[in-house]
Amino acid sequence: MTISAANLPIWLASWLVWKIVPGRAAAKMAEFSHTEAGSGLDMLAAVEETTRPELRARYFRHALDELRHARLFRERAQAWSGARGRTQAVLEDSGFIASHGIRTTESLFRQLGEREFLAFVWVHEKRGAEQFDIYASLLGHDAATAAMFAEIAKDERFHIAYSRAELDRLAKAGDEAGVRGAVFKVRARRAWQLWVRLSLDFGNFMAGIWLTILYVVLLGPFSVVARAERPVGGVVPPAPRPAPADRAREMI
Amino acid sequence: MSWVLGLSGLYHDSAAVLLHDGRVVAAASEERFSRVKHDAGLPVQATRWCLAHAGITMADVTHVTWYEKPLRKFERMLVSQVANFPRSASAFRRGTFNWLTEKLWVKAAIVKELGVAPARVLFSDHHQSHAASAFYASPYAEAAVLTVDGVGEWATTSLYRGGPGGLELLGEVLFPDSIGLVYSAFTAYLGFQVNDGEYKVMGMAAYGEPRFVDEVRKVLRPREDGAFDVDLSYVSYHWSADQSYTRRLEELLGPARFPGSGFDPTTAEGKRYADIAASVQRVTEDALVAIANVLHARTGLDTLCLAGGVALNSVANRALLTRGPFARLFVQPAAGDAGGAMGAALWTWHEVMGNPRTLDTPVLPGPGLGQAWDDATIGALLTDLRVKHEVLAPDTVAVRAAADIVEGRVLGWVQGRFEWGPRALGHRSILADPRRADMKDRINARIKYRELFRPFAPSVCAGAEGRYFDVPPGGEQLAEWMLLVAPVTTDDFPATTHADGTARLHVVHAAANPLYHALLTEVGRLTGHPVVLNTSFNLKGEPIVSSPVQALATFFRSGLDVLYLGAHRVEQTGSYDG
Ligand SMILES: [Fe+2]
Ligand SMILES: [Fe+2]
Ligand SMILES: [Fe+2]
Repeated sequence: MTISAANLPIWLASWLVWKIVPGRAAAKMAEFSHTEAGSGLDMLAAVEETTRPELRARYFRHALDELRHARLFRERAQAWSGARGRTQAVLEDSGFIASHGIRTTESLFRQLGEREFLAFVWVHEKRGAEQFDIYASLLGHDAATAAMFAEIAKDERFHIAYSRAELDRLAKAGDEAGVRGAVFKVRARRAWQLWVRLSLDFGNFMAGIWLTILYVVLLGPFSVVARAERPVGGVVPPAPRPAPADRAREMI
Repeated sequence: MSWVLGLSGLYHDSAAVLLHDGRVVAAASEERFSRVKHDAGLPVQATRWCLAHAGITMADVTHVTWYEKPLRKFERMLVSQVANFPRSASAFRRGTFNWLTEKLWVKAAIVKELGVAPARVLFSDHHQSHAASAFYASPYAEAAVLTVDGVGEWATTSLYRGGPGGLELLGEVLFPDSIGLVYSAFTAYLGFQVNDGEYKVMGMAAYGEPRFVDEVRKVLRPREDGAFDVDLSYVSYHWSADQSYTRRLEELLGPARFPGSGFDPTTAEGKRYADIAASVQRVTEDALVAIANVLHARTGLDTLCLAGGVALNSVANRALLTRGPFARLFVQPAAGDAGGAMGAALWTWHEVMGNPRTLDTPVLPGPGLGQAWDDATIGALLTDLRVKHEVLAPDTVAVRAAADIVEGRVLGWVQGRFEWGPRALGHRSILADPRRADMKDRINARIKYRELFRPFAPSVCAGAEGRYFDVPPGGEQLAEWMLLVAPVTTDDFPATTHADGTARLHVVHAAANPLYHALLTEVGRLTGHPVVLNTSFNLKGEPIVSSPVQALATFFRSGLDVLYLGAHRVEQTGSYDG
């Protein structure tokens, strides 16, 4: 892949990620592993929810590919992290993040419906393939990694091709405007989500600062008073409580 | 006709449980739907499925009960962070942010995400939910009830008497004194992931001698009164979010084991870790037996219902039975936080709504309380995916599968509703011949990719267990749900016998699981031993499969030989080429 004005920013960013920051490469691989596993699950949900037999088979193949990519990236991450154990931490962290919090639990397929889901697959696979191309050329000096990216690239071409072919088929069958609309919506949402994430990151950063201030000025003085005693320990008798029906509505 | 829904989540494993007139009709962990291991979100998909299964809507549900008191938990967190100023700074930043942005709004989330009328949302408390899950699901009119886990709101261990008048709280041990959190701190010290790798410590213990008991007792100290306390200089769970033990613990016991590094009990280093694991296990058992003695003295009852994450420690359960004061022990399959959802619902039914218990029908019909898929759906799926398969007559499935096992094949086995709780009990299992010595390594190398200190379990036909295993009296219920280890008295099953000559036993009754029982019976006819190796159907790090699609995706990524999906039989070789 060649550097052009259009992909210069992502080139620079990737170069920074891989080359400058030591230990980042393994962590990045671990992150990829999680993303790929996530798309694998999205595809499996689509297998369960679509009513179109021929697409079902495609989605299943696609799911198996993504789950395999997840394994390949994880193995790479482990190989690179060696004895530093950083990757283990990243894998666990992202596992923790994935398993916590109130999330949208509706599957992607159910949120989008078949047509927009296909547009989503096409847009994201295309984008992902371009990114992987860049990474592959940056890391091409390592034979095992180059081979891995080559294998993945082959699968990604299939993902792009079948989703595009299906969108084309829909367009030919008279839904051209619908297909174009779906692709536009997916792209717009992608840009919007990038923005939301940036502002969320910024928000979290600011919240961190505020909470630190709160911690120092509020908890600090309190701690002087509260530090002294520790509960007696052992089996303590229960504090008197209202009857179940009376306390069931309380959150405290 | 009354429906009650119990929910747990936002901390460990989230789950939803639906009661109909006080009996469990549907129970599932969210991870089985979301495929995120230990999913700790809101159990939205599990809830949706529970309602669909019963054919009702949220409007039909009288009460929806959350398994703990969120504000009291938040208070505990703040108090311990104040007490540990300034080293709690990072935990405060992360924890408070989480609380302020979501955990405090759990009621709003239940209302919005699940469509519950606000007036119907109730809150149990954490250990009360555990206690209710153990007592009200048990067949006993009266019992002592003990709950032991990491921590709920404040309690880490609670003592109850259960009787016709309900659950009476007798006393509790409070945070930061916690058997569960100390066990987790040692889990981290031994290089495993907290809230996931605890059973690996238990497995590792079998390779060691408890020669560090004195050192471990400096951390978890027995008290005169039968309780315990924790020397907080060795642990950091009370002020840190990402580290649970301190440098001082390494000074006491030597360097911690590096996460993900290999384990070889024949090396001095490996032996040291195994010995530490054995010591931690021993001290934990001693603490449990001591507190059980206190509870026994207070209640004078001879049945113990146990719950909380620590109740999943099947080795400690044996110690409680053989060394403790109680004649029999009851633990329900989801003894950890997922089970809190069940307890919250049962507490609501009996104590908030005031319904008496009726002991003639079991509250828990069996461990298969999750979703099932019928053969028509499975057949259509296989056809759509162009997977070559054989359709068997339903009455030949067990016979055919038994033949596969005896011929040395490793089976994926997906039948009926998926299990409630973390163990596979013959509904979503990997099955193989336990007589083959190489089977353990084969399954580990090709399917589970797990460490050697994790033994595989044997399933055995009820009635035959005495021929091979030394089941302590009073442990029958535990053995049914794979919550008990038992010494193995034969050399016939090298693949399921652990390093210390024990096995985590699974006794199968025909009434609870007729098909699986038939399979075991047929294996018995062919080999003379109605015993099968049974391990959960999942790849390393993934939740147990639930749907046929997930089973297929797991099957084709594994080295399993044959997959049984209901009455459909799929072979690994030549059945699928994309
Ligand atoms: Fe991929
Ligand atoms: Fe892809
Ligand atoms: Fe708990």
